[in-house]
Amino acid sequence: MSNIVEAKSLTKNYGSFTALDGVDLTIPRGSISGLIGPNGAGKTTTLKALIGLCDVDGDLSVAGRDPRIARHKLMEDVCFIADVGILPKWLKVSHVIDYVEAVHPRFDRKKAEKSLSTTDIPANKRIKDLSKGMVTQLHLALVMAIEVQLLVLDEPTLGLDIIYRKEFYDRLLNDFYDGNRTIIISTHQVEEIETLLSHLVFINKGKIVLDSLMSDLPDIYTEVLVDTDKVAQADALQPIYVRELLGKKSYTFESVSREQLKILGELHTPSVADLFVAKLKEEKHG
Amino acid sequence: MDKFALLQFYGLLKREVLEHRNLFIGAPAVVALLILVATIWVATQIDQSQLAEGLRYVSVLFDGLSPFDMAPFFMLLAVPFYLTLYVCSVIYLINTLYQDRKEMSVLFWQSMPVSNLQTVLSKIVAIVVVAPIFYVLIIFAMYLVAMVWLTILGISNDVDLVGIGYMFLAAIASLVLIYISALVTSLWLLPSVGWLLLFSAFAKKTPLLWAGGVFILVGFLEDFIFGTQYLANWVASRTSDPNQYLIFEFQSVFERVFNYDTLFGIVVGAILIAGAVFMRRFTD
Amino acid sequence: MKDLILRNRYTLLLATLIVYMGVLVAEGMITGREARVIEFENPYFDFNMNEFEGFRDRRNVNEDVRTS
Repeated sequence: MSNIVEAKSLTKNYGSFTALDGVDLTIPRGSISGLIGPNGAGKTTTLKALIGLCDVDGDLSVAGRDPRIARHKLMEDVCFIADVGILPKWLKVSHVIDYVEAVHPRFDRKKAEKSLSTTDIPANKRIKDLSKGMVTQLHLALVMAIEVQLLVLDEPTLGLDIIYRKEFYDRLLNDFYDGNRTIIISTHQVEEIETLLSHLVFINKGKIVLDSLMSDLPDIYTEVLVDTDKVAQADALQPIYVRELLGKKSYTFESVSREQLKILGELHTPSVADLFVAKLKEEKHG
Repeated sequence: MDKFALLQFYGLLKREVLEHRNLFIGAPAVVALLILVATIWVATQIDQSQLAEGLRYVSVLFDGLSPFDMAPFFMLLAVPFYLTLYVCSVIYLINTLYQDRKEMSVLFWQSMPVSNLQTVLSKIVAIVVVAPIFYVLIIFAMYLVAMVWLTILGISNDVDLVGIGYMFLAAIASLVLIYISALVTSLWLLPSVGWLLLFSAFAKKTPLLWAGGVFILVGFLEDFIFGTQYLANWVASRTSDPNQYLIFEFQSVFERVFNYDTLFGIVVGAILIAGAVFMRRFTD
Repeated sequence: MKDLILRNRYTLLLATLIVYMGVLVAEGMITGREARVIEFENPYFDFNMNEFEGFRDRRNVNEDVRTS
């Protein structure tokens, strides 16, 4: 099976609040997928649903299993890091390692200890005495020592300084990712992970607003810095987003051929951040 | 059960002991310390010769008697530990499926390949089977200290120590009785264990209030709907007699476990525990 | 049915409590356990405590007031 995650019309309500409103999602095996959305868009709910930590309605299959029925079996193949602070604060570092070693059949203690030895984390300290960055380092070291197919990261670098953030993603790419494993990262800081991603998903208000391979983006989305005299022409092609840029107007188009747009001005592929804003604004207006 | 599953379960138990070391070890250690200090303080208030006389009397009393026959005598000394274990168990059970949800670490625990059934079972085994081991070990340490002290007292006052040796053996024998007693009591109280776990897994806030409130509510509801009080009556019949909690003879263990009331209680407990296992699905 | 019970924490709690109550009431009926111990009819909560002198006296006073 080429997709590690297949989800159809996932729905989740918290009282009257609709957290997920018919989410369809497929994540290809071996991809690094970014789940991007503003706060409260449903990112965490989606990810928690994927690993069986949250009951949802709809069809869902992760690594060939239904997480709602077989969470504990699924967790042999999937690892999860949430925004810092989910490691139990009262445990010592060495105890966390002992625990994971005891309960996880695919954990390699030597590997974890080796990668921890490259950090400043002392083994006899309690989690609550570690800095946020160290807790994340520790969690990553644990997870990377587990032979899993899928790694789910929910805002993993939230609240970390730039040095930890950079190191986190470097380690992830160098030590974890091997082309077969799949990574799903949720974040609202788009710029940080833009270069890592091979697959992009935008979510807003519980709905998927964009789902595309990174390599397909240039074929679908085009940003044009339109010359002032061609504004009317550009408006006629139904841009999804227009903004002022350096005294000119920048138009973002969806599924309009580059041949057609060439005459309007300078063409390029929008950055993920710009595309994100464009898609979200589009949602708001129409 | 394969070897990995056993190791896994051991890991789960270890995590419980580490997290709740205050309830499992700290609390009984404090009780033991208090008893020792109180005893020695009382001893210093009594005239030395009177003390030696008392010791001589006890020594004669125990001399030559089977430790197992005399063990029940020490059951009374264990009562403070029983009460401590009882209170600690309630605190443990009502918090154990609630605390981790409150502090969010539940996301970590649930991200490991451990089923909800394993989690809940590990918590029951931890408090029912493992905690009393620590209590018994601490009582043993307390007896050991007391024994050393009595021996010194005996030697310095020329008391024959053979009877004291018998007394020590009886104290050790009582430890087995205490442990079995704790286990059997847990089986007897399994419905309460299940009830507390159910609300520990259910409540988003104040689990103890939920557990107590719904307990009373359900009793009233039964009276209201069926016009009967089987529930209240059943609970009352299981809690009114202190004899239900202590075992003084090894011979009575079998009938304590294999009687209708205990076995029916285990069935009711299992229903509530099953509820708690399913309730564990709802982590948010 | 299973979906309904496991829908959310409240339905699950309700289902568990219904089973709990059902088993106990059924068992009570089968074994002929005493169905009523506490009487609620009296607004002063007459807990069958007739041997309790003060309580009886107070109740008698109340009955006197009611009958007169």
